[in-house]
Amino acid sequence: MRIKQGDKFNEIFLVSESVYNGFISIFDDKNPLHTNREFAIEKGFRGVVTHGNILNGFLSYFIGERLPLKNVIIHKQEIKYHRPVYINDKLSFYAEVMNVFDEVNVIEIKFYFVNQGLSKVASGKFQIGVI
Amino acid sequence: MQKEEIIKAVQDVFIDVLEDDDIVLNYNTTADDIEDWDSLNNILLIVEIEKKFKLKFKLEEIHSFKNVGEMCDYIFNKVN
Repeated sequence: MRIKQGDKFNEIFLVSESVYNGFISIFDDKNPLHTNREFAIEKGFRGVVTHGNILNGFLSYFIGERLPLKNVIIHKQEIKYHRPVYINDKLSFYAEVMNVFDEVNVIEIKFYFVNQGLSKVASGKFQIGVI
Repeated sequence: MQKEEIIKAVQDVFIDVLEDDDIVLNYNTTADDIEDWDSLNNILLIVEIEKKFKLKFKLEEIHSFKNVGEMCDYIFNKVN
C-alpha cells in the first residue's frame, strides 16, 4: 500500500457562499439556524451557522481526490463538531494515518478542521478500504 | 487471558460492529449462523479484533479459520 502509519496530509477549504448555497439547493435544509440571521443570533451565534455536513463534503473530496489512492471505498466515519462554522470561514484540514491493516487492505485516518482563528471546529476519524 | 475471556471479548466486538446486542458466540459459530456477517463486515470485524488484542493476522490465517473457536484459539496462543 502506498500509505503508511504516520503519513500526514493537509488541505485548505473555504466555506464559500457558493458551497453554502449549493448545499441548501441540493439538500433543501433551510433550518432557521442555517438561514435566518436573527434567529441564529438570538440563539447565541454571530450569524447563520453553516451545515455541519458541508465538512463531510470536504472529507469526501479529500478521500476521493487527494489521497494518493483512487481505488478506495469508505467503510465508516465519525465526526464531532466542536464550534460553529460560518460563511466564508477558511478551514485548515489536517489528517494523519492512524493504522494500516495490510492483510485486509484497510486504512484508518484521523482528522480535524481548524478555522482561521485557530480554533478546532471539528474532528473525527474514518476508515477506508482499498479495493 | 483465559479462552472464555477471549470469546467474550470477541463477542463484544461482534455486537459492536454488527450492531446486534443479541449475538451470542460459541466455538462452533460460523458466518452462516450470523445474518450480517458478510464480506465487508468480516473486514470490519478483523480490523476491530486486531485492535482489541493488539495483534496482526496474516491473510492465510484469516482464511484458515473454520469457525469462531479456531480464531479464538489462535488469539489465545498469540496473547498468552
